[in-house]
Amino acid sequence: MTVATDEIPLDQPARDALAELLLTVADDEFVIGFWDSEWTGIAPMLEEDVATSSIAQDEIGHARALYEVLATLTDDDADRIAFGRDMDGYRHAAMLNHARGDWAFSVARRWLYETADAVRLTALARSTHEPLAQLAGKMRREETYHRMHADAWLRRLADGPPDVQARFAESLAALWPDAQEVFAPLAGDEELQRHGLLPEPMRALHATWQAEVRPVLAPIVGDLPTIAPTTDGRTRRTGDFRWLHGQFTLVSGSEVGATW
Amino acid sequence: MVAVVRSGQSRSTLHDMSSHGERVERVWEVFRQEDEGDPMIHSGNVNAPDEELAIHYAREFYGRRGESHRLWIVPRESVLELDDPDLLKPPLDRSHKKPGGYIIKHKLEAAKARAGEGST
Amino acid sequence: MDDADTIQPLNSRPRYAPGDSDAFYAHVGSGGKVEADDWMPDEYRAAVLKFVEMHANSELMGVLPERDWIMRAPNLRRKLALTSKIQDEVGHAQLLYRVAEDLGKPRVQMLQDLLDGKTKFHNVFHYPTKSWADVGIIAWLVDAAAIVSQQALRDSSYAPYARTMKKICWEESVHIMHGRDVVLTLMNGTAIQRAMVQEALDRWWGPLMQMHGPPTDPAKDKDLHWGIKAKNNEQLRQEFLSIYVPRIRELGLTIPDAALAHDDVSGRWQYTEPDWAELKSVVTGHGPASQERLDFRRDNFAETQWVRDALLGTATAA
Repeated sequence: MTVATDEIPLDQPARDALAELLLTVADDEFVIGFWDSEWTGIAPMLEEDVATSSIAQDEIGHARALYEVLATLTDDDADRIAFGRDMDGYRHAAMLNHARGDWAFSVARRWLYETADAVRLTALARSTHEPLAQLAGKMRREETYHRMHADAWLRRLADGPPDVQARFAESLAALWPDAQEVFAPLAGDEELQRHGLLPEPMRALHATWQAEVRPVLAPIVGDLPTIAPTTDGRTRRTGDFRWLHGQFTLVSGSEVGATW
Repeated sequence: MVAVVRSGQSRSTLHDMSSHGERVERVWEVFRQEDEGDPMIHSGNVNAPDEELAIHYAREFYGRRGESHRLWIVPRESVLELDDPDLLKPPLDRSHKKPGGYIIKHKLEAAKARAGEGST
Repeated sequence: MDDADTIQPLNSRPRYAPGDSDAFYAHVGSGGKVEADDWMPDEYRAAVLKFVEMHANSELMGVLPERDWIMRAPNLRRKLALTSKIQDEVGHAQLLYRVAEDLGKPRVQMLQDLLDGKTKFHNVFHYPTKSWADVGIIAWLVDAAAIVSQQALRDSSYAPYARTMKKICWEESVHIMHGRDVVLTLMNGTAIQRAMVQEALDRWWGPLMQMHGPPTDPAKDKDLHWGIKAKNNEQLRQEFLSIYVPRIRELGLTIPDAALAHDDVSGRWQYTEPDWAELKSVVTGHGPASQERLDFRRDNFAETQWVRDALLGTATAA
């Protein structure tokens, strides 16, 4: 049994493990929110443009809240954490390294991410770290809308004409290996387990996610290979992310100490 | 003049309906309720190919700021419209149906005055 | 029975029979309203459509100057605020295209006409953005100039447009607060940040002064007569100057027009005559960023056509 309170003092290894966990979730939300916000103004239909933008903004909002929990834990500042690291300091999953691509790519990535995030949030809502558990609970309620939307688009593309199905299947297959990295092993996994900060290990969450998504994806894309998350699943980077990092640090990094 | 009752049909499906497309974009009217107990008020309309996306888009345009307690989303062709003034603003006197049709000021003054004389 | 006080006066506004243009124009000229399904003269319908379509186009193109900065917003709150603002502009485009669609022009045709250069969008959206200060200046002053027009349009004779303008005005008021907040933060910041704002203002002042258009002859302004718009161009510009010149100057910014001054006798602002030739050239597609933006939209529209086709089963949806 765990007692959900953040007053139970955590030793340094536990704090480090929790900080790492928070950073991974926050960075995932931050980066996917950035990529999807790029659709603002240029989505396929005006009504859909507004919907996609809302979802991207929600992700940035979640990132902000998570960075704030982390900032309290490590005596730091949310904006400094979000905007102030070198490219190598980010801990988002490899799936989020890629630019938004075309609509099929974005829809595919969003569906894979939302399903994975849902599994993770369900676990985090039972974390012994109270601020995280509460935040995860709130995020899950907002994610209901995201899931509805992602499912709606998955069906529309998967049930579309053959060329659309093919395009969509190709995106899903291309994203599949990197998608596993949402569940990449964390250095502090043992600590997280020991203190109930993450109630189930990453590999168990990964298995839950697999069991949920494979039946949905198989009719669209055929059998997908079994791929284990890798140790650099949250540290390897691409040129796309280098570009993104350059963009979001362009103004924030232009004058040290300035307020914007 | 014959009373004109129209349905939203004429404007509900957008022009250029493709002959080979079985799905077309439709217009959906959105009504919103600001707070619990308030009336549903027509607020605008969205284009969407089906109910599911119509609900999403109605939420976006009339609820993304948390400004609505409830939304009704109605296909435009389901809305019947009546705007015939012969039915809605018929010309003969109907003042007996409204509060403004009962102005008692002078009669009340007269009655009070009479009652005042009688009591001395 | 003394029933003289009980009879309600009949509505004295002239009603018009379908086909009676004179009565129609008397109706709108005296404050009467028109709905989408009402009979209206072709001229009036065309005038409203042109007005609304240009407005819709402007919202859609207006997204582009600011979009780049979504990726460059310097902190979490600004990122959210800016993305939200631009989302609202897209929403406004939708609201306005919907009004125009109900007047009889399909959305896809309006988008195509815009991309083909057959229809116009407002001048300010033909200029490039160069710094984060532009983001503040646009959200504050460009939106403020727009809202001055839009508030007047809440009384338009064409009721669907008037209702849309009420919603738009409410949403724009939030944008202006965001813009002003960005500018204030910069002005209270470093010397470099303040210089950035001044430089942005220097570039945007000309287009801002042109934005409401040249003074028109009220006697010949049909949009005014028919109640499509409620105030003339010069009235709008004067209103903008009255509110915003003091607010700009109180921050220590210099407005790049030495002739700008309030004449207390006439109660009007005097200013250097804007370059109306530049305005005409810009809105006909010769602005510094006009073609680049239209090209961008064209490419994007082509690139996303497969989605519309898949969703709607037609090659004509948008």
